[in-house]
Amino acid sequence: MITVPPNHASAEADGIDASARCPLGLLTAFALLWLVVGGALALLSLLQLHSPGLLADCAWLTYGRLQAVQETVFIYGWAINAGLAAALWLLVRLGGDGLRGANYVILGGVFWNLALVLGLVGIAAGYTTSHPMLQIPRYVQPLMLVAYAAMAVPGVLAWTGRRTVQTYATQWYAVAALFLLPWFFSATQVMLTFLPMRGTLQMVVATWYAQNLISLWLAPVALASAYYLVPKITGRVLPGYDFAIYGFWALLAFGTWMGGRHLIGGPVPAWIATVGIVSSILVLFHHIILFVNLRGVFRPDGSTVLIFVAIGILAYLLSGMVDAIFATHVLAMVTQFTYFQQAQQQLTLGAFSMILFGVLYYMVPRLAGATWPSVALIRAHFLSVLIGFVLLVTSLGMAGWVQGRDLNNAAVTFATIASHTRPWLQLAVVAQALMLLGNLLLAVHCCWLLCARFAPAALSRTAAREVVVS
Amino acid sequence: MSSPSPVDPRVEKTALTDEGLISVHDNVAAGKSDAGGHYRMLPLVLLFVFSGLIIFAVTYLNRYSGHFRGNIFDERQLPSNGPVVVAKADPLVLGKKQYGLACVTCHMPNGLGLPGIYPPLAGSEWVAGSDERLIRIVLHGLKGPVTVKGIVYGTAAMPAFGQVPGSGYNWSDEKIAAVLTYIRQEWGNTAAPISTERVAELRAKAGSRKEWVEAELRQLP
Repeated sequence: MITVPPNHASAEADGIDASARCPLGLLTAFALLWLVVGGALALLSLLQLHSPGLLADCAWLTYGRLQAVQETVFIYGWAINAGLAAALWLLVRLGGDGLRGANYVILGGVFWNLALVLGLVGIAAGYTTSHPMLQIPRYVQPLMLVAYAAMAVPGVLAWTGRRTVQTYATQWYAVAALFLLPWFFSATQVMLTFLPMRGTLQMVVATWYAQNLISLWLAPVALASAYYLVPKITGRVLPGYDFAIYGFWALLAFGTWMGGRHLIGGPVPAWIATVGIVSSILVLFHHIILFVNLRGVFRPDGSTVLIFVAIGILAYLLSGMVDAIFATHVLAMVTQFTYFQQAQQQLTLGAFSMILFGVLYYMVPRLAGATWPSVALIRAHFLSVLIGFVLLVTSLGMAGWVQGRDLNNAAVTFATIASHTRPWLQLAVVAQALMLLGNLLLAVHCCWLLCARFAPAALSRTAAREVVVS
Repeated sequence: MSSPSPVDPRVEKTALTDEGLISVHDNVAAGKSDAGGHYRMLPLVLLFVFSGLIIFAVTYLNRYSGHFRGNIFDERQLPSNGPVVVAKADPLVLGKKQYGLACVTCHMPNGLGLPGIYPPLAGSEWVAGSDERLIRIVLHGLKGPVTVKGIVYGTAAMPAFGQVPGSGYNWSDEKIAAVLTYIRQEWGNTAAPISTERVAELRAKAGSRKEWVEAELRQLP
């Protein structure tokens, strides 16, 4: 193993972090806000799955719209805000220079979230597009594209203006994510929204988009973070790093084709589904290299950040395997169109969130220039999110398996199927409530950190009083 | 390198600077000289794994891609490369369809024609009688007066339906055989069916000619 000289500067890169404080802090704040809002909405929509009478009189909060709203909040509110904050910070850190073009991030961030609010109101009012993961109405889609482009500018500047010629895996993944989203987002807008294609072609484009969002944006951003945090905290050089580049290209080359596996048995030519199945098997090469490189994360040496990342990586590897195995015909016949697919999606999104939590715990104190105030809150957040995540994926997976098995049996009535899945869905509600609680703790903790850092006068007074009391 | 001392989760310690992170990994990626002759298993294993995945993928694609055709929706049903086998149509079904396409305009759905203008097919001695005469009428058409069930019809002409010069329809022998089989068994008619081969044989024998007249037909067997 190659030894690494220990780090001398504990407060390294202070100037860089200070330049990124305002814009990236704003994105993080938006992300946490949406995370809590999305969690509450997800809880409501899960409750409606087994208590259909809940809020049934309120058109804006019926299941169909609420589900679309919570999915949009999670992806466009939490994932993209937090992911961009992480990706920009990593690029700026590795670029070795301060964040340039901070105003682009602030302007873009404000407009992105404004557009998101408009879009959510639109969905709730019934103007959704009906394409999974792209439910925002057509009138905000171009605005979101422009706002995203503005937010990505500092990332591109940090990449082109980097101090070292050599690059690192984190930079490849982050830059790829920054550039790929505008490509497939704009292409999809043309093909689905402004010059909609004929009939079943729309379905093909919609699954392609949803898969790209996961394989070409969420995954690269999460992996960029993992590739940064693991050697940074452990101090060990990644084993087999010379193969990281193949893992990177394998994800880009095969990931984008995987969407077709959702169309098995659909009204599309057979090769579309077959190519999707084959790609989800080929992309396992990426997962293998990822495991080889990042296996050090499973020896976290007590680092909370690395424990979060380890769970995220584990979930990511698992989701890759589940995607490949359950894409095959025999199993897809049972799991397609059931809660099982939701479980698969939650596993993938949960992997992303876990890694992003790790980044936040590492990044926020450096951005703010203050330590987290409470160890107990970090532990509480970790435990509730971990238990909630495992419970949610297991319960939805079991509900989906039961549902799929019963649906293929003509003798079982729909009412019986519903009663069979009910206990699992109730468990899912508990899981979602736990995650909401955990994320609420994270948001509160963040506020506390900010108060402690930026309102020192008030706090020092309380501290002084405590000293007197004790 | 990691110290066993408890880690403070309130701010994670950093073990590596950003510049150090990039440079040590860049050195790894650039590869070192193999002076020591150290044998690494990893490249070989990855090569095998990737080859295995590729072989599986290509085999799977080859078997289940439906040859990338736009009109194949079931990946387990491959297009055949041998001679095209066309399912034999039921002559009564095909005949009824053909009848509905053209004949029905004059001979009517009930096969009774129009009194004084178009002769009937139901109970007609021409339909039930000589198959040669019947086939020739449909192949080449019929002009001039014709007596059916004792009544003379003379104002309308029957067009040629076969694949013969001057025909506006160009129906295949199979379609003609089917429509004749149909009219010979519909509306209470009970004559024998007519085969495609018989139609083909008569069409070859007659060659190129104009519409028949009744007198010519009556000389045929």
